[in-house]
Amino acid sequence: MFPWVYGFKWSAGHLIFLSVFFSVLGTVSGSVVTAAFRSAKDLRQRTADAMRWEMEFEELPRKARSCRHEITGEVRHRTCDHEFDCRTCSVHPTFLAQAAATSRPEDPAAGTFGLAMPTDRLYHRGHAWVKPEGDGTCTIGLDDFGARLVGTPDAVELPLPGTHLNANGTGWHFVRGGERLRILSPVDGEVLKQGSMDQGWLLRVRADDSEPATRHLLRGGEVRPWIMHELERLEFSLGSSGVGATLADGGEMVSDLRAAYPGVAWESFCSPFFLEG
Amino acid sequence: MDSTLIPRGLERASFGKFLLWILPWAALFGVGLYAMYLCLADGLYHTNMDNRFAFGLWIYLDLTVIALGAGAFFTGFLLYILHRRELSAVINSAVVLGLICYSGAVVVLMVDVGQPLRAWFTFWHPNVHSMLTEVTFCLTCYLLVLAIEYAPIVLKNRRLRQVPRFLAFEFELHKVMPVLAGVGTFLSFFHQGSLGGLYGVLRGRPFAFREELGIWPSTFFLFVVSAAAAGPSFVLLTTWLVQKITRKQLVENEVFMFLGKVSGIMLLVYVFLKAVDTLVWINSTSPAAGFPAFEYYARTSFGTWILFTEIVLLGLVPALILVSGRLRAKPAWLFSAALMTCLGIMLNRFVMTIQTLALPTLPFDEFLSYAPSWEEVATFLAVLAYGVLIYSLTFRYTVLFPQERDLLKH
Repeated sequence: MFPWVYGFKWSAGHLIFLSVFFSVLGTVSGSVVTAAFRSAKDLRQRTADAMRWEMEFEELPRKARSCRHEITGEVRHRTCDHEFDCRTCSVHPTFLAQAAATSRPEDPAAGTFGLAMPTDRLYHRGHAWVKPEGDGTCTIGLDDFGARLVGTPDAVELPLPGTHLNANGTGWHFVRGGERLRILSPVDGEVLKQGSMDQGWLLRVRADDSEPATRHLLRGGEVRPWIMHELERLEFSLGSSGVGATLADGGEMVSDLRAAYPGVAWESFCSPFFLEG
Repeated sequence: MDSTLIPRGLERASFGKFLLWILPWAALFGVGLYAMYLCLADGLYHTNMDNRFAFGLWIYLDLTVIALGAGAFFTGFLLYILHRRELSAVINSAVVLGLICYSGAVVVLMVDVGQPLRAWFTFWHPNVHSMLTEVTFCLTCYLLVLAIEYAPIVLKNRRLRQVPRFLAFEFELHKVMPVLAGVGTFLSFFHQGSLGGLYGVLRGRPFAFREELGIWPSTFFLFVVSAAAAGPSFVLLTTWLVQKITRKQLVENEVFMFLGKVSGIMLLVYVFLKAVDTLVWINSTSPAAGFPAFEYYARTSFGTWILFTEIVLLGLVPALILVSGRLRAKPAWLFSAALMTCLGIMLNRFVMTIQTLALPTLPFDEFLSYAPSWEEVATFLAVLAYGVLIYSLTFRYTVLFPQERDLLKH
């Protein structure tokens, strides 16, 4: 039974002790081998981006993980546990039904705090916008909040046409001052065409389905409270340690935050807003 | 200089400051390595131990760090098996502390035993009737488990995460953590217990010898419970210390409170069991061996004060503080009680190791005194320095406290 153990005897002491020992060793090595085997399988079946997002989402600051329905005031406190993929959330339809029953007309005068957030677009929590074009394709860009955080990048690394994007996977990168910032893709689909910051859009994408799945994207009346929530996080991040919450001065967000705050580590500072762990 | 290795959103000292912090510890570690080399190359004559006083500072260190490192298994048990989610805030730190304590203990044990190239003998020629074999097997297995548990913490580093293979392995390792936590709990139960049992079976040392409960002496269970009490206190204390050094809040106060509560309950159970055990020993076990128990405390260096300090001052008092919700809510009381708990367990291990060997047991024996040599002290301090180095590097380059980002501006 244990031929490799020197001096093994068929006694209760030897049997119990060695059985337990080898069971423990078997369990530990089995766990590691299973993890290694499954990780190889994961890499074949899933993208590294999907695993990265699943892990990084848990590591995001709690405020960054607030459910969209908490931000809009529909629920007092709720932290998302679906990695911002409302398509798989069982609670989201309930909130939508409640909102439809008690819907109030939007106040056209209510702005988005000096930020241009057109209502014909849908917004990802990582500050990318999506505009469905009605032909199964959609245009993707960076929203005004994100653009002001990024400022004027040295380079924009866009995926080549033909590349497949996954919602919440890597969309593209901005490079500035040697630092690299990842922006999450808001939808699943194949890149058809590249745009540019000057053109106001960055990618044209053909959705995996006939129409892009956009249930997880913010829209309409959700955008204003979300932007307020993001501005609060921003003010909080820029505040001094230990001061706590202070009254905002009411000003608008500057057009190039990095230039306004040269002492701030740009990549570390921006990454929580772009949902990078 | 190393900013691309530091986790995003966390504030760390400049590289220069960090170097200034680790250099003295690295120097101390270097001196310890030299002392270890002397002992391994020339033999144990560099130490002040001899055939009669064979357990000295090193065994004391081993017992102490293994008890304090129990925070790793007990926190893992509470988090993964009993699902106390609040402990996810300190589990990484507990694992690192456990790894440091256990690896430090194993290294010192290798120097103490000597002939490290023959370390495998203990696995090839196991004496299945020896408590030490159980300790050796469980200790090495648990060190392996801790190393595996440490891997995902290292793989969390943002640069390592860029490598898809590492990312996927980290992703899958998280899923097997409950299994490893269960194995760790099992192994810890046995090696903590066997370390205690080691003293309890010493018939030739009536100061340590205890009656059997089942197949194990009572010290087996006392060591398990005392380690479970000291572990959470040590995690609490180190987290508080890191907070003070880095001047950052790393975990929410509720986590400290919970660790204190767990430690307090376990300590109360331990103090009760220890008191019962001591009474049985004084009134039955020791007289049966021909030694009135209070003869052991006739010497002022190991007088009854040491028993009172161990059980009451550093046992019952911190236990009552920690189980009291009102006192636990006050940081000064909480951290003082955690410190007292750790000191109490350290004193217990000192008594079991040093006092046991110092006391005469035969008519011609004399009270033995022992003071460690510089090589022993340097090796002891090297483990401390090694711990600080590993902990500092892990704290700087990985996310040791997941709540740190949330609490950054508070």
